[in-house]
Amino acid sequence: SALQPAGTPKRNIQLSNIIEECSNGRRVSRLLELSPKKPQPEQMEEPKTPKRSTRPSLGTTGSSATKSTPKSASKMKLIRDGTIKPTIHARSAPLGDGANELALARERLHVSATPSSLPCREKEYEEIYNFLEGKIFDGVGGCMYISGVPGTGKTATTTAVIRALRHLSEEEHIPKFDFIDINGMRLTEPRQAYVHIHRQLTGKTLAWEQAYNLLNKRFTTKAPRRTTTVLLVDELDILCNKRQDVVYNILNWPTLATAQLIVVTIANTMDLPERLLMGKISSRLGLTRLTFQPYNFRQLQEIVMARLAGMSSFNSDAVQLVARKVAAVSGDARRALDICRRATELADDQARQTGEQVTVSMTHVQQALTEMITSAKVRTIRSSSRMEQLFLQAVTAEVTRTGIEECNFLGVYSQLEALAAFSGVSVPNPGRAMGICARLTASRILICEGGRNDIFQKILLNISTDDVHFALQASKLL
Amino acid sequence: MDAFVKHIATIYPCRDAIVHKLYKYYRTGDPFPPALYIYGQSSTGKASIVREVLRSDGNGLRCAHINAISCYTNKILFEAIARQLEGAVLTQANNYSYDRKLEYVKDFLAALQSLPRSESYVIVLQNAERLRDMAYNLLPLFLQLPDATGLNISVVLLSSLPFEKFHIKTGLPQIVKLFVPEYTRNEMQRIIMNDYPSHIERLTEHGNPKTHHWLSTVTPEFHQNYVNLFLGTFWKVCRDAKELRLVATECFLPYCEPIRDGTIPATDSMNLWRNITKTLKVALSTMYMRLGTGTSVTATTSTLLPQYIELPYYAKYLLIAAYLASNNATKEDKRLFVKNHGKQRKRLQTVNARAKVVEKMITKLGPKAFNIDRLLAIFYAILDEKVGLTCNLMVQISTLVHLKLLTYASVDGGGAGMLDGSVTRLQCTVGLDFIIHIGRMVGFNVRQYLSDFF
Repeated sequence: SALQPAGTPKRNIQLSNIIEECSNGRRVSRLLELSPKKPQPEQMEEPKTPKRSTRPSLGTTGSSATKSTPKSASKMKLIRDGTIKPTIHARSAPLGDGANELALARERLHVSATPSSLPCREKEYEEIYNFLEGKIFDGVGGCMYISGVPGTGKTATTTAVIRALRHLSEEEHIPKFDFIDINGMRLTEPRQAYVHIHRQLTGKTLAWEQAYNLLNKRFTTKAPRRTTTVLLVDELDILCNKRQDVVYNILNWPTLATAQLIVVTIANTMDLPERLLMGKISSRLGLTRLTFQPYNFRQLQEIVMARLAGMSSFNSDAVQLVARKVAAVSGDARRALDICRRATELADDQARQTGEQVTVSMTHVQQALTEMITSAKVRTIRSSSRMEQLFLQAVTAEVTRTGIEECNFLGVYSQLEALAAFSGVSVPNPGRAMGICARLTASRILICEGGRNDIFQKILLNISTDDVHFALQASKLL
Repeated sequence: MDAFVKHIATIYPCRDAIVHKLYKYYRTGDPFPPALYIYGQSSTGKASIVREVLRSDGNGLRCAHINAISCYTNKILFEAIARQLEGAVLTQANNYSYDRKLEYVKDFLAALQSLPRSESYVIVLQNAERLRDMAYNLLPLFLQLPDATGLNISVVLLSSLPFEKFHIKTGLPQIVKLFVPEYTRNEMQRIIMNDYPSHIERLTEHGNPKTHHWLSTVTPEFHQNYVNLFLGTFWKVCRDAKELRLVATECFLPYCEPIRDGTIPATDSMNLWRNITKTLKVALSTMYMRLGTGTSVTATTSTLLPQYIELPYYAKYLLIAAYLASNNATKEDKRLFVKNHGKQRKRLQTVNARAKVVEKMITKLGPKAFNIDRLLAIFYAILDEKVGLTCNLMVQISTLVHLKLLTYASVDGGGAGMLDGSVTRLQCTVGLDFIIHIGRMVGFNVRQYLSDFF
C-alpha cells in the first residue's frame, strides 16, 4: 500500500466516510477501507453556466454533471433529489492478498484500518456510551463536548460507541435512533452544515435557507412518533464564524423538548467553549465534557501490539522504541502507526535485496524515525550551494554583530563581501545575492520580504543560528 | 538566419545581437524556452523587435501581444491571450465579445490545452512588472506554462526593471534573461540618419514648389552634420530614441530656413549653428512635453501658469495665507503676524539658529501641514480690511482643495467636517514663484512674511 506522507493524515475525512457508509446500512467494503472515498470529483470539469444555478450548494454531491445538456441536467436533478447515490469507479478485480507477512502487517498498521475495539480507551468509551445510552433511553436531548489533541482516538471512540448502540437498537435492546455526522472541515461554509444534516435525514439536497427552515420546523414541532437523533459534529471550531449562528442553532435544538436531539461535539482544544464561543452558546454546550489525554508510551505500545496480534514480524523492542519516541513528542497514535509502517517498508526492501525473511528490527525503526523526525532544514542547508551557505553564514554574522534578529539586506551583503574575501571567492553582485536570498526564502530557511524593496528588504533566520552552525560544520567554508 | 537578421536590421538598426539571440530561441524550430525575460531602458526597441522577430508568416507560430497595464483583472488577461492565440478577432459579427469565459487559472489552462498541438505559441507581455500586482499565482504560472499545458509555448516578459525585483516569497523557477543595452551615441546617430528621407519630404512639403533648387544642397553629408550638432546639444540630456527623433525632425525645419531664404549658404555651418542655437535651447526645455509643432517656439508654460489661473480676490489671499502657513514654523507666527509682539532679545544662540542653510530652509524641505484655524488666523492677519467669516469664504477653501492648490494632509475619520479643529489638516501645494506672482497681482509682498527670507 502507498506510504502515508509524514505529518498527520487527514483521518477525519476517512473515518467519517466509513461511518457514513455504515450508517446507510451498507457493508463497508475492503476496497473502501484501503482507498477512502473522496468527497466527489468536483474538480473534473468547471461550470460554464452561471454559478448559482449549477453549483451544488454543498461539496459532496456529484457535480461532475456540469455541462448544461438536458441529459446531465436531469441527472443533476436526480442527484439533488437523492435518487442517485454518488459512487466511485471500482477496480476490475481486487488486488491480490500478498502472502508476505510484512505486507499483512502493513495492512493492519494502516491508519484507516480502525480495529473494532480500541485499546486504552475503555474508560472514555464507557463514558460516552453511558451518556448516549441514557439519553436515548430517556428520549431527551443533550450535549456533550469531547476534546483532545489530534490522534488520541476521539472520533474513533465516538463512532465505535455509535456502532455498538446501532447494533443494540437493531436487536431492539434500546429504542431506535437516527445518526447524523457532519465534519466542519468538509464544509465550504458553516451554513452548509444545515444542508448536510438535512440531506442525511431525508436524502435531498436543498439550499441552506430551505434546509434550515425545514430542520427548524422538524425540531420545534411536536411529533408523536419522533425517534431520537444523534448528531456528531466533528471539528466544531471550524463551524464558528463571527455571528456563531450555526453553532448556536445546533446547540439550541437539543434544549427543546420536542427535538430529541443529542449533539456530540468534537474539537482539539479543551477550553474552546470558553475561549471562542459566546456565553449563550457555551452555556448550552453544558458541562458534560470529556478530555482525551495523549497516549503515553505504554499505551502506544499496546495499540501497535494489538494491531499486530498473532504476528511475529515485529520485534517488540522496536515497537517500544517507536512508542517512546512518539510519546515524547505528541502522543499521536497515527504517527506511531505511520512510523511502524515505514519500518515495515524498509524491512521489505531489505528482504527483497537479500532474499530471506526479515523481521522489523531496531535498525529499521531507527532509520524510519530519522526519516520522519529529523529536520529537513538542516539537510537543505547541507545540500545547498556554496554561495548559499556563505550567504547564510553572512546572515548569522550580521545577527551576531547587531544583536537583533531582524537584519536588512544591505548589512548582510556587506558581511557577505567580507566573508567572500576571506574564503577567496569572488563576491556575487547584489542582484545575484538577491537571487540567492530568494532561493533560501523559497525553501523557508530565511524569511524575507519580496524583491520589491530590494536592498532594504528585511531578512530573518527561520532556524536558530546554532542549527546553521551545526549544518555548516561539515562544509569547507568554516 | 543572416538574411533574416539583415532584414530586421534595415528597420531596427544596431540591434543585431538581440535579434540573433531571439532568432536562436524562436525561429530555429527547437522547443522554446519556457520563459524569456527581456529588460532594458524604455524605448530601446524591446517590444518592436520582439514583435518583428515573432511575426507569423506561415511558420506555425502564433503570437499574443498583451500589455499588462490594460489587464486589470485575470479574466481580461486570460481572455485576451486565449483569443489572440486562437486567432479569434473581435468584430461586429461576434458583437465584440469572446464566447468563452475564462475567469480562473484552470479555465485558462483548459483553453490553452485545447489549442492544436502542431503549432507553437508565444505570449508577449509588455510592462510585465504589473504581473507582481496581480494574483500571486500568475507570475509562477507564466514562467512554467509548457509544464502546465504540454504545448510548445513560451512567455516573453518585457519590462524595464531587472529581474531581482520580481522575486517572491515562494520562489520562482529559473528564467532566461536578456538585457537590451541603451544605444550609444554613434548608434543613435545612425538611427536619426535613417530619417533623412522623411526629413527631406517634410522640407519639400513646407517650401514653395517652384524654388526647390536649394534642396539639392541638403545632402546626406549636410544632414549628418546636422545630426552631429543636434546630438552635441541633446545627448547629455536625453537618450530616448523616440524623443530624440521627434525633436530632431522638429528642429530640422528652422535649421534649413536660412538656406531656403538664401541668407546663409549650406556650406557655412558656423553661421547655421549660431542661427539655430536659440531654437535648440527652447526645444531642450520643452523636451518630453509634446506640445505640438505650433507652440514649441514660444516660452515655457511653467512661468505662465499663474496667469492662466484666475482666482477671486479672497481666494488669492487664502492661497497666500495657506502658503505662509505651510512654509513658516508655527512658533514664528506671533512675530510675523501680531502687531505688538513685544521686543525680542538678541542672543547668540538665536542668531546662530537663524543662520540660514539653504538645505534646511522650510521652502526647500517642502510644505508642512496646518489646520483651518491657523489658515483663517493668518488670512485675517494679512488682509487689511475686515470681512465676516461667511460661508462663501469657507466654500473657497474647499474649492482650492478641489483645484488641487491645497491638499488634505490628514482627514478626520469621524466625518466631523473641516471645522472641528485639529483633525483635518491641509497642505499648500503651489510653489514660491506661483505665490509671488499671485501676491504681485493683489499688491502683497509675500517674501516679507516668509521666515526663511529674514
